Amino acid sequence: MDEQFIFSKQYRNILPILAAVSLVVFLLAVVLSGSGSARIWSNILLNNQFFLGISLGAAFFIAVHRVATSGWQTVIQRVPDAMTSFLPVAFILMLLIYFGMNDIYAWADSEVYEGLTGAKKIWLNIPFYFVRMVLYFAGWIFFIRMMKKNSESLTISSDLKYHNRRKIFAGLFLVFFGITVSASSWDWIMSLKPDWYSTIFGWYVLISMFVASLCFIILITWLLRRMGYLKVLRSDHVHDLAILLFAFSIFWAYQWFAQYLLIWYGHLPEETSYFIPRQHEFTLLFFLNLGINFIVPFFGLIRTSSKYNLNRVAAIAAMTLIGHWIDYWLLIMPETAGTKATIGLPEISMTLIYACGFIYIFFRTLSHGPLIVKNDPFLQESLNYES
Amino acid sequence: MDNKDYISVYFDDEDPMLQALRRLKENNLTIIDVLTPFPVHGIDKLLSVKRTRIPVGGFIFGALGGILAFWFMTWVFTVSYPLIIGGKPFFALPSFVPITFEMTVLFAGLSMAAGMFLRSKLKPDIRFKPADERITDNMFVIVIGSNANTTRESIRTVLSGISIIEIR
Repeated sequence: MDEQFIFSKQYRNILPILAAVSLVVFLLAVVLSGSGSARIWSNILLNNQFFLGISLGAAFFIAVHRVATSGWQTVIQRVPDAMTSFLPVAFILMLLIYFGMNDIYAWADSEVYEGLTGAKKIWLNIPFYFVRMVLYFAGWIFFIRMMKKNSESLTISSDLKYHNRRKIFAGLFLVFFGITVSASSWDWIMSLKPDWYSTIFGWYVLISMFVASLCFIILITWLLRRMGYLKVLRSDHVHDLAILLFAFSIFWAYQWFAQYLLIWYGHLPEETSYFIPRQHEFTLLFFLNLGINFIVPFFGLIRTSSKYNLNRVAAIAAMTLIGHWIDYWLLIMPETAGTKATIGLPEISMTLIYACGFIYIFFRTLSHGPLIVKNDPFLQESLNYES
Repeated sequence: MDNKDYISVYFDDEDPMLQALRRLKENNLTIIDVLTPFPVHGIDKLLSVKRTRIPVGGFIFGALGGILAFWFMTWVFTVSYPLIIGGKPFFALPSFVPITFEMTVLFAGLSMAAGMFLRSKLKPDIRFKPADERITDNMFVIVIGSNANTTRESIRTVLSGISIIEIR
């Protein structure tokens, strides 16, 4: 019970070294392949989105469980808590996009901008883009802070008001999150193709975020277990995490197909212009995306017994996490790089840089407190939990 | 009244009931049945109830329904009555998906409901008079097999300290 995660020196040294090596590889790969600054910026945008999504998905996970007053997740509560600590860093990284606006966003060019119609002219311009960005991050960070603060108060005092307040902030966060995550996905991803729109796009990105985040939670749970922590974790908790992964993978496929079917059936040139390059130029990745994010978790986790097996769930989560990276790749790269887009050394090394940074921040935050919050009022419920 | 071969213990909450169940198992008493107003988590494990195979049936019938729907639509739109709809090819795969999905769900759902009725021998026009009206309402009841050694008094001693409503 009195577990304290120790961020060992070994890992603390390896992660920055790996990130530095990846950075060198990235720069060399970009210079040698002669790809322009557009490739650098689209890689930054892709990984910003992916890791911000993992971090925000964790906040969504916390808020949903707070609103439902559920307690089963209390033994792994610190994992999503620590994942949200990446958000301020993601904010700074996202602001960096300012220097690459002209490289990736077509509408940043004044000629394209003049061609936009109606409200798009008001929405898509550089100052308003950054005003909205600041607004989104300010809101997310504020609500997450407030949830965390009330959780901390609840471990000291048994006053019910902190519990209620936490619930209210979680509810407000969900409302704010629902709107802003949609709007941010229009801003950051959908506006890469300013003449195209899809009304389900925000939902699609939200679910992709949440599934990636669940995969990360499962993988970290598996890793902590391998390291000898989380002795109180039982197969019942694993079962619930696996159910969430299973259900939301199906929901992701539902969103994917809902968007595809309507555009395919409508057959309007301004709508199909999104799917045609993806399906015809990147056929393999296009169907791999669907297979890895839907078929694998669906058939891999459909049996009850497989949902109780942490090793198996973690293996599927690892595949699905890579699958959602490919999903983001398909959202962003075909727009910024056109038909030349590939998954090459620059993409992989840039992702490694981000992954090292994310994991470093995550583990550092995790090591700052006990792994299981002993005074959490829901802890006993979680320890006794039977699924 | 003493000549019946079972004893019912009444509880008004799930926690004392589960506690009593653990203690009865420790004392190797025969538990005939447990009646609860709602599904209680973890009770299957305590009673060592075998896992139901209904999901397996659901999967098989669901797959069957999906294949049947897909095959039927393919046959209708390519062989039996090909029509051009909205300029789409005859074999318009994406437009078959929603119906395939619905038929999968329908077959899986209906087969599982049917399987449940068959396995529990539930059918229309079944008459059942409960021994006590309260077990259909808010009471948690453990039914224990009784014999010369297992009497109401012995059970009361075994379960001492647990809040029991009634033993009869």
